Amino acid sequence: MGLVTDHLPGALLPLPGGGALLTAIDQVVNWSRANSLWPLTFGTSCCAIEVMMATGAARHDLARFGAEVARPSPRQADLLIIAGTIVKKMAPRLRTLWEQMAEPRYVIATGSCAISGGPFLYHSYTTIRGADEVIPVDVYVPGCPPRPEALLYGLLTLQKMIREGSTLARPGQVRRPVLAALPDGMTLDDVRAEIAALVQETATVDRKAAAAVGAAFAAQDRV
Amino acid sequence: MTAPAPTTLRARLDATPWASPLGTQEYFVNMGPQHPSTHGVLRLVLKLDGETVREVVPVLGYIHRGIEKICEHSNYRQLVHLTDRMDYLSALANNWAVTRVVEKAAGLETNGRIEAIRTLVTELQRIHSHQLWWGVFGMDLGAFTPFFYGFRDREILTDVFERTIGGRLTLNYIQPGGVMHDIHPEFVRDVKAFMAVFRPRLDEYEALLSENVIVQERLRGVGVLSAADAVALGATGPVLRASGVAHDLRKAEPYGLYGQVQFDVPIGSRGDCWDRYAVRMCEMRQSLRIVDQLIDHIPEGKHFLVKPAAKIKVQPGVWYSHLETARGVLGAMLVSTGGEAPYRVHLRTPNFNNLWTVTAMAPGGRVGDLVAILSSLDLVVPDIDR
Repeated sequence: MGLVTDHLPGALLPLPGGGALLTAIDQVVNWSRANSLWPLTFGTSCCAIEVMMATGAARHDLARFGAEVARPSPRQADLLIIAGTIVKKMAPRLRTLWEQMAEPRYVIATGSCAISGGPFLYHSYTTIRGADEVIPVDVYVPGCPPRPEALLYGLLTLQKMIREGSTLARPGQVRRPVLAALPDGMTLDDVRAEIAALVQETATVDRKAAAAVGAAFAAQDRV
Repeated sequence: MTAPAPTTLRARLDATPWASPLGTQEYFVNMGPQHPSTHGVLRLVLKLDGETVREVVPVLGYIHRGIEKICEHSNYRQLVHLTDRMDYLSALANNWAVTRVVEKAAGLETNGRIEAIRTLVTELQRIHSHQLWWGVFGMDLGAFTPFFYGFRDREILTDVFERTIGGRLTLNYIQPGGVMHDIHPEFVRDVKAFMAVFRPRLDEYEALLSENVIVQERLRGVGVLSAADAVALGATGPVLRASGVAHDLRKAEPYGLYGQVQFDVPIGSRGDCWDRYAVRMCEMRQSLRIVDQLIDHIPEGKHFLVKPAAKIKVQPGVWYSHLETARGVLGAMLVSTGGEAPYRVHLRTPNFNNLWTVTAMAPGGRVGDLVAILSSLDLVVPDIDR
């Protein structure tokens, strides 16, 4: 039947007392996945300088954590670091990139823009209010832009999540997002609700008024 | 009678009649928006004949965040922080451009200390920006070492900014009526230490990359931009000067303390990638020269002349002001109707015009040269899209 590792990941071998063996394999698989994350070179704006470049360069040295092999192709990458604002024209492309990545894939949203829209939250007619409206995000790293140390902390958080997660024993189990820097007692839903309320309050486009104007124009055309 | 100019992208590309000398079929390739050499989310539609580029059409909007529209909802003091996020590698020059137009419109005054600090930090950031460009330029040409060397020295300067300003990249330092914080007591010592380290390192850069025969062969005669084309397309900054046009707003319309310091404006002769490279390398030395002249002569005085909580009032009218960032001329236009927020803000950003020079340079060249051309333009995409 060959080596057990020939059938990884996902093959459950019918071994007597296999539970112990599978647990060990889980740990090995998780350990190796956590320590060889290959990020996609993806950066839309300012965060790309701090997160993709400065963190990978000599002083901060992302290679210490095994995540320095940045791949330009999503098919070779398993970590998507969203560095920068996502606007409406880019959102479908971001979704495509994420879908092209092979499972298991992980997403870190860095910077205020990728978390909530950041400085472009109010009055902007193009910004997506957080990349998690487009793809699921595992770890949020706040900052505008985050310091390289903040990304390293986010990466370590993700590694911890991968190491503690399940791979073979419980495939398909939904992983819960980990918040790298939210204080205790505050949940992501609270943040989302607050953002939604604020955006509603200061919306640039008044939908009712716009609909009224549109109806007036339509009436004019008919005459 | 001439046919009307085609408007859609597809129609424009189809309307270019090319008889392929090789009898091959022309085809289209999308470069970007996800591409390692476009430095962000720029998309170029390439019309190719084999390996030869026939036409390049840039497609924009993948990072259009509506900054000009948001400005209409911000008061005059809030305009500054959005400009950090346009050309984030020259954040201070962007701050200064908007600050100048607000100061002009509101009639705010500054003193010698404020102008000296502004000139100093902006000039330091010009070096900061060119260091990053040098590293990335080497990386785009296929050499990874410059990236590490450039960032190693850039971090020293980042620390200088961090001590005084508190940020690393989006600094939000130059404000209408002054600068956000006074300089750190160690600022002068830190800058001198940086210059002592960086001068010999600049020679090291030249020995590592400039004197490399492969780099020279890769750049000389590639992407030639004539002075007439550069002016017609509105190119500014090192791109324009490399084509032999000696236009630098620091000399042409001195602002800050640029009228009181000695420096030269390096210009190129052929307008190829090599000239653009060489102009930026010389600019770093000239910036060091400017900093050297100013660092010991920062006058005493206040660093902020307007109370931070005071509202800035602007009379109705139209104002314009421009200055030279690391990439070229950044102009800021302000239309006021007398309210708390501007009626309209327009930002004339250097990268937008510099980008279109690629449509004049790339046709006839190879795809591989296009990467060198793009990198030699030193584009920052959020500055193009705003």
